[in-house]
Amino acid sequence: MKTRSITLCVNGRDYTFEVPHNRTLLQALRDDLKLTDTKYGCGSGECGGCTVLINGKDNINSCLTLAAEMEGKHITTVGGLTKNGQLHPIQQAFVELGAIQCGFCTPGMVMKTASLLAHNPNPSEDDIRRGLEGNICRCTGYENIIRAVQKASQMINASATQCAGGACS
Amino acid sequence: MSDLTYVGKNIPKVDAKEKVTGQAIYAGDLQFPDTLFGKIVRCWEHAHAKVTHLDLSEAAKVPGVVKVLGPKDVTQKLYNCGVLDLLASEEVGHMLGEIEDQRIFTDYVRHQGDAICGIIAETQEIAEAAAAKVIVKYEPLPVYLQPEESAKPDAIQFDARKPGNKAFQLPEQMFPNNVYGWGDVDAEMAKAELIIENTFQLPKVKQCQIEPHAYVALFDQRGRLSIWTSTQMPKLVQNKLARLFEMPLSKLNLIPTTIGGGFGGKLGMIFEPETCAMALAVPGRHVKVQSLREEDWVASESRHPGKYWLKIGFLKDGTPVAADALFTADTGAYFTHATGVPFTTGAWLIGMYKYGAVRYKTNAYYTNKAPSGAFRGYGNPQTNFVLEQTVDQACRQLGIDPVEWRKRWHKQVGDDGWCLGIPYASSSLTECLERGAAKIGWAEKRAKYANQSGPKRRGVGVSVMNHTSGAMPMLLEHTVAKVKMNEDGSAVINVACSDVGAGSHTALTQIAAETLGIPMEDIYIDNNMDSAGFDVGSHASRTAYVGGGAVMKACEDVNRQLIERASTRLGIPVDQLEIKNRQVVSKDGKASMSVKEICNVGVSNYINPANGERNGVPGQIQGYASHFPSHNSPPFGACFAEVEIDIETGQTKVVEMVIAHDIGRAIHPPSVHGQLAGGAQQALGMTLTEEIRYDEKGLIQNNSFFDYKLFGPLDMPKLTTILVENPDPGAPYGLKSVGEAGTVNPVGAVANAVSHALGIMFTEAPITPERILKAVNERGIK
Repeated sequence: MKTRSITLCVNGRDYTFEVPHNRTLLQALRDDLKLTDTKYGCGSGECGGCTVLINGKDNINSCLTLAAEMEGKHITTVGGLTKNGQLHPIQQAFVELGAIQCGFCTPGMVMKTASLLAHNPNPSEDDIRRGLEGNICRCTGYENIIRAVQKASQMINASATQCAGGACS
Repeated sequence: MSDLTYVGKNIPKVDAKEKVTGQAIYAGDLQFPDTLFGKIVRCWEHAHAKVTHLDLSEAAKVPGVVKVLGPKDVTQKLYNCGVLDLLASEEVGHMLGEIEDQRIFTDYVRHQGDAICGIIAETQEIAEAAAAKVIVKYEPLPVYLQPEESAKPDAIQFDARKPGNKAFQLPEQMFPNNVYGWGDVDAEMAKAELIIENTFQLPKVKQCQIEPHAYVALFDQRGRLSIWTSTQMPKLVQNKLARLFEMPLSKLNLIPTTIGGGFGGKLGMIFEPETCAMALAVPGRHVKVQSLREEDWVASESRHPGKYWLKIGFLKDGTPVAADALFTADTGAYFTHATGVPFTTGAWLIGMYKYGAVRYKTNAYYTNKAPSGAFRGYGNPQTNFVLEQTVDQACRQLGIDPVEWRKRWHKQVGDDGWCLGIPYASSSLTECLERGAAKIGWAEKRAKYANQSGPKRRGVGVSVMNHTSGAMPMLLEHTVAKVKMNEDGSAVINVACSDVGAGSHTALTQIAAETLGIPMEDIYIDNNMDSAGFDVGSHASRTAYVGGGAVMKACEDVNRQLIERASTRLGIPVDQLEIKNRQVVSKDGKASMSVKEICNVGVSNYINPANGERNGVPGQIQGYASHFPSHNSPPFGACFAEVEIDIETGQTKVVEMVIAHDIGRAIHPPSVHGQLAGGAQQALGMTLTEEIRYDEKGLIQNNSFFDYKLFGPLDMPKLTTILVENPDPGAPYGLKSVGEAGTVNPVGAVANAVSHALGIMFTEAPITPERILKAVNERGIK
């Protein structure tokens, strides 16, 4: 397999490394960069557990994305939302509303929420349900996750300093 | 409602922050230097076949392959990946006979996904590439997908020790005539004025925990075998692996990782045997096995499918004179849980209503499907689909309101629970029914939806359930808890109890904080298995109940020691002392010692050289409890569901659900609500959308989230959960379980709501649009 040198900006830090052309972004994050906060749940874009943010706004399934195609892109993972140990409002809302059980879907769910709120700061409950449709949670029945997204939206809107996507600076 | 400080409080879970930041480490996240990668090579093309030829030579030649392991290269010992044999007495074990029938790698395929061989390589990619070079030739055998096929006299015998391919029936020694129940069913049934008799078909459904099974194992130079696993049952899996590989427990080092969902899917051993066998083959190097999502459906256990015949006789006033039942369970390709689920499926039937007489029989047969095993509810969702629809059909014919019938006939305090001889010590089911009915508007909706026309039909249904808190007396119940008081007065609780995500570590911390009277922030739950004493593990909705009982007792042991030491120091009798606000104080309020001081002096204990006196009582304080609960404090619950069915498309929308749960006391209310909501998602799937489908060759057709439909955020109904809190007299802080309960009564409630909407009872789950359309068309409903 041919390889290519790429530079990814992940959570504000540049990484230059060699990847085979067929390496997925998920593999690159987890295996090459040892950033295991993004999870492998199915490897085929069905569960959303590997969702990350691209350029602070758009969400992708990193398991369906080739690392080589991400050259120069800003990627945010759930670990990157936390600044100086401070939880992002979305993370804070997930903690407070009991939206986390086993936690395995949580990183993807939080990043999907970040993208949803970046595109639509005031989503209706239906917008939220529709927005999270590609992310599977088997623990919570989604109820507390939806409440957490609502709360996160309020928290972000009330705060002038936080951006939903926590984009790379 | 209570004077408790930590129990019952709505506080963030102890592990929430590490999970929400991605810092929680699951088995697949582990990184060790010099790690090798293991690949389990499976049979994908047959469900029943002999391996006639296995050639690993080409695979072994792939650069980067370190070792290839065939069936003969690993232990030849048979095992049962389930753990129930470790929880039953020897006497009961003898009744069950030989139940070990699995091999690490096999030359006889009993289901699609059976493991053939293993490859250990320098990278995952190399292992995958080598797996493609393994040459296997098979002799296909007839495939049996239903018990009625494998039970035929001329069918190939799966196991010479289990003639007729019958894995299990209720053993005669414990259940005369292989029957569980009471009374003379034939005589009582003869009195019936209405008999409802149906055979129900129950689906094979999957746990679908979002974390695929992953492990790391290492066989080190000291001869210790370490295994990192997200098992629900660390101690029992350690035990099973030690037996399989013939090692003392002290050399089997099980390190539990964060558990990415279990639901029974990580109960007992899953791919630990294969992973450990590979590590043993390459001493000194870590071997990581990351299984694929698509493997989970074919190679690991599911809920027991089967046929469930139920006949209940009633008098015109609704009296259930007799119940007669036969569950023909499909245990799949291996024995696994062939005893447990077929038994409990009847136990939940028996624990529910005051029948005049009841007779439950069960037979479990092997088939060429993936093994059946533990899945949240353990037979209870199956029973709920069958029993609750039967009751509603009777109510319809007798003109009795289903809520009123249940209030009249459900078991109460003093009646025997699921295990005859263990009576209910508490029951709030009537209150659950009343509060749930009021919340959903039962009476109005039942009347409103009685006569409908048009394409969209609404219905409202109810279902009740009983469950358990721990599995005593049928299975061992035991948890050891140790509480180490640090010299600053903070505490470390060492237990083997796992937290599958249900919040049990939070609940255990709350119980410890409440009992010790110290803040939760000063308490840490330590899960080190070398130091932790025994614990059964996370199953049977037991961790808060049994683990909580153990933690409470160990904390009480600490308190006793604190008071004794203060008594010695202050010269005040122990019965005149109590612990308040981190102080041991005399009841007259005149003397006190801080808990911190007692703990510190116990550690930093000095002798005054001048007078030879010690500065306090020496010895670090540690609390200990080896806890065997004396009851199983069953919870009850009532669920109400409203559905809307489009009779032109067959689509069912669950509009609203109300679940009222008899929790005793909610230790951590958000977790209780979360268990009910999450359980509902699984129950709705089993009732309406989820089923593993096989083709005629026994190959799974839908081993992906694309084809196996789970309820998503748009599918979930408006949901209200009501916690009915009347503390159970025998339980720690009065708590009763909730873990499995959530998956149970939404099943019957939704099925009954569908039936109310259409006037058709569906005997086959899931109730898919295809089945609804077929039934609607057959009956000419327009």
